[in-house]
Amino acid sequence: MTTNQINEREKLIASANTLRWEIGENIHDSIIESIYTDAAKIANKVVRIKEQKKKYSFDQTIDRIVTSKWLGFPIMFLLLAVVFWVTIEGANVPSGLIANLLVDTLHPLLKDFIASVGIPYWINGVLIDGAYLAMAWVISVMLPPMAIFFPLFTLLEDFGYLPRVAFNMDNLYRKVGAHGKQALTMTMGFGCNAAGIIATRIIDSPRERIIAIITNNFSLCNGRWPTQILIATIFIGGAVPAYLAGLVSAAAVVSIALLGIIFSLLVSWGLSKTVLKGEASAFSLELPPYRPPRILRTLYTSIIDRTIFVLWRAVVFAIPAGIVIWLVANVTIGGTNIAEHFIDWTDPFALFVGLNGVILLAYIIAIPANEIVVPTVLMLTVLVAGIAGVGSGSGVMFELDSIGDTSAILHAGGWTVLTGVNLMLFSLLHNPCSTTIYTIYKETKSIKWTVISTILPIIMGFAVCFFVAQLWRLIAS
Amino acid sequence: MIDPLFALLIAFALSGILAVLFWPAKGIYATYKKAKRNTSRVLIEDTLKHLYDYEERTVRPTLRSIAGHLSIGVDDTIQLVEKLQSMGLVESSQDGIQITPQGRSYALRIIRIHRLWERYLADETSVKETEWHLEAEEKEHSISVEEAEALAAQMGNPVFDPHGDPIPTKDGEVPKRNGVPLTTLKNGKFGRIIHVEDEPHAIYSQLIAQGLYPGMQVRIINTEKNRIRFEVNGEECVLAPLFAANVHVIPIQKQEEITSEFKSLSSLRKGEKAVVVGISKACRGPQRRRLMDLGVVPGTLVTAELESIGRDPVAFNIKGATIAIRKKNADQIYIKEFSQEELN
Repeated sequence: MTTNQINEREKLIASANTLRWEIGENIHDSIIESIYTDAAKIANKVVRIKEQKKKYSFDQTIDRIVTSKWLGFPIMFLLLAVVFWVTIEGANVPSGLIANLLVDTLHPLLKDFIASVGIPYWINGVLIDGAYLAMAWVISVMLPPMAIFFPLFTLLEDFGYLPRVAFNMDNLYRKVGAHGKQALTMTMGFGCNAAGIIATRIIDSPRERIIAIITNNFSLCNGRWPTQILIATIFIGGAVPAYLAGLVSAAAVVSIALLGIIFSLLVSWGLSKTVLKGEASAFSLELPPYRPPRILRTLYTSIIDRTIFVLWRAVVFAIPAGIVIWLVANVTIGGTNIAEHFIDWTDPFALFVGLNGVILLAYIIAIPANEIVVPTVLMLTVLVAGIAGVGSGSGVMFELDSIGDTSAILHAGGWTVLTGVNLMLFSLLHNPCSTTIYTIYKETKSIKWTVISTILPIIMGFAVCFFVAQLWRLIAS
Repeated sequence: MIDPLFALLIAFALSGILAVLFWPAKGIYATYKKAKRNTSRVLIEDTLKHLYDYEERTVRPTLRSIAGHLSIGVDDTIQLVEKLQSMGLVESSQDGIQITPQGRSYALRIIRIHRLWERYLADETSVKETEWHLEAEEKEHSISVEEAEALAAQMGNPVFDPHGDPIPTKDGEVPKRNGVPLTTLKNGKFGRIIHVEDEPHAIYSQLIAQGLYPGMQVRIINTEKNRIRFEVNGEECVLAPLFAANVHVIPIQKQEEITSEFKSLSSLRKGEKAVVVGISKACRGPQRRRLMDLGVVPGTLVTAELESIGRDPVAFNIKGATIAIRKKNADQIYIKEFSQEELN
């Protein structure tokens, strides 16, 4: 460009700027308005709309029922209860089959095979007892529930029911500064937090989306339900008369889940009033027309996009964690293994807040999946308490079929009812699993929000355990 | 094991201390941060802004007015002015203190950043309108020119701040203000608000509470000695002259008189229909864009379809789609009664 042209251009820009000052700031609105007006004029001229009365009134009838004052919430709870019940009941059998194949059958076979080839025992331990077993465990406990839960949930979504749930729940979520759709991502979180966090993409307002991401961890995920049920059965069910045991322990688990919902609302409120106060926010919620769900497509997308995707991430993290689990139990410094060193070192603090060193170590090394926390706890307890004849060697995770045997091991490890209660609380309030943390980072692209989502629940967990432990001791003494 | 009662007491004491330290806006940390604000850079920049402002309003600045503006002592102000003089930013003569061209361009640079930041807060965040000015007062001293240019480019080089003040260009050009105070408009005359002064804070909050925003059309009903009655957006408004003088308008030709009061979308009952007349200026940024994207523009027919429990949100049929809108937003959408000829 010649200097002349540049001058010419500068002049043009300058005069454009002056003009913009004269036009004022309503210009954007006016442009959008005129675009819509013109579009409407053209559409009125050339588009003819078919009578759609029948379909429309069908939609309205359903809407009237599912959003009605008296039926809205019961229908919602019933449908969600059915989804959860089908998931839990339906997952038992395939989980057992997969565990049978991968853990009970294939694991010893692989171990024997490697031993017979003459590879040193520690390579065998790291690869088979560590990496392979952790991976096998994660697959067998994670795959079936997710493969059932996600398609069911997606079917409800596809049918058009879930937006109505968000519509019903928005009143509550508005009061804590969140979006009604958070009810959906939270429910999804009961299946898997990582999937719940991916599901927050449906929330298009930045502030409400971050709130939904940070609080998703307060939904008790699939990997934590078995822990809750097991511990509640042993410690809470064990503390009341036998005929009440089932009922009381079930009530305890449900209370923990409800507590999680209460925490998620409280934290949403706190976040929207403090750190997230100024973030951009825009509410709108579309209620799409009902339509017959496309079952095959739903199956495909929910299995590939959600189940396999999450499982893959979990497996990727489980392999190194499995190696670490085996190593801490087998590498010794001065005659004692790393696990015992760590447990001895953290025990004073952990016992003070009503937990124990085994639990802390288990939560650190079982970070890839909440599912392997209990097997790790059992392995470590046996290791530390020196119980002979249970499990299959140090560093090898195991679970027992009999709740009585599990209870015996935990009691031998020095567990009390307080430890049980606090473990249930800590299981609800601790850092998300590594898959979830990674997913949070992927979704927010922000280290700040990832760190907050990770640290906040741990701080809350320790605080809650601390207060429960002190009050417990105060009342007991 | 530590005595549980003792542990609890320690924990309560600790949380108390943390609260005192980090309580938002009132804690020790927040107070400390506020106190640290008055660095020499901030003082220099605020002085230049003050001098520029007085020059614009053709008022003569004095040492006392500067001291008052910065909330510092007169002795400190003398030192400050001397420093500014040695930097070549101000001159003082027997006519008083005057800003040099160099100082003026510095001041305009700060004002540009201030107004850009207000625009940013208004359009891209949910920060409340009463807090924009205060936040921008802090931010203007810490943003570099390059950052400000990047911000401006990202927002599409806005030319007005949300109060209707023009944003100076990068080269320090700024148009002359051509509005008149609302108080000078005669009875029955029409005007369009072009500027709502954001200082002092108390008056601005009152104006915002009345729902006055740049771009609105006003009609004076009656001016008396102590109060001005006028109509804005179909609603009657009363202000004391002291307050009304902070609203600037440009007189416009006689417009179609708005006879009936506008109702808001939230007053629509289930099954009722209405036509949108506009979205209040109080609804801005992402929320405004979202509503307009959904088709909430003047002339659109809306039907209330579903009410959730507690009547918040309510779902409306807008251009064939069912959209739930919260009451707070529906309050800001003005509607009028639906009539058949309107559609064609």
